[in-house]
Amino acid sequence: MKRNKTKTWIIVLSVLFVLSAACFLILRLTGKSGTVANIYVDGELYKKIDLDAVAVAYDIEIRTEFGYNKIHVVNGGISVTESDCRDHICIEQGEIDNEAVPIVCMPHRLVIEIEGDAVDG
Amino acid sequence: MDKTRRLTLMAMLTAASLIIFIVEAQLPPLLPIPGVKLGLANLITLTAMVILGRREAGAILLCRIVLGSVFAGGVSGLLFSIAGGLLSYLVMCLLKNAFPGKLLWVLSVFGAIAHNVGQLAVAVLISGTPKLALYYGPALLAAGILTGAFTGLAAMFLVKALSKLKKS
Repeated sequence: MKRNKTKTWIIVLSVLFVLSAACFLILRLTGKSGTVANIYVDGELYKKIDLDAVAVAYDIEIRTEFGYNKIHVVNGGISVTESDCRDHICIEQGEIDNEAVPIVCMPHRLVIEIEGDAVDG
Repeated sequence: MDKTRRLTLMAMLTAASLIIFIVEAQLPPLLPIPGVKLGLANLITLTAMVILGRREAGAILLCRIVLGSVFAGGVSGLLFSIAGGLLSYLVMCLLKNAFPGKLLWVLSVFGAIAHNVGQLAVAVLISGTPKLALYYGPALLAAGILTGAFTGLAAMFLVKALSKLKKS
């Protein structure tokens, strides 16, 4: 009886895992490409960048009460290259060029999002 | 178990969970997704809940969260820890009797999922970006199932080992 329950839960949770992982991958792969990056700090729009208009790559340094991030802007993409946060997840998220997944640096309340092309930008 | 033994065991478990929490905070993140971690400290909360009881587990958890933020997390970390920890604790308290003995790992999975939901809620509130829930919800659900099962299995071994201690 107990064994049956264990089996049932293994199946239920495996299915749930596969479904959520699939959702995540689908979201990631079907993201609309976009050209406008919005940088938010603490929920407020900090800067809007038209990534198509970037001729020469450049860096932006953001220093706020929450911490320091260096953001690298190239034509068509944006990434975080330096940060004094603890886990550096924002750096490891790499460069983004579509709206699928934003870059987040939670300790610094920083979110970088790309607007899908459907949105007027 | 008499009162002194109980108190000593609680103190020991609090110290152990604090150490686990601090060491885990030093490890590099598993995946470049905010909020994904093993949550090994939860295995102490689970173990305490089984061996000592809900109230004792809650006390240990609260001590660990407060002390953990002093040593490792900082203030912004505290908010995430409290939201995740308390939601996970409440869910595990409610479901505890539904998953006794060999099903403890399932309880752990629900705890881990609740923990991630709590943290995601704080992330959405703090950043003011509701879209984060959509972006990271599925990933954190998947991660919670895996890490919850892992820490749950680990807790089952610990419960087994500590039961011997209880008898002596």
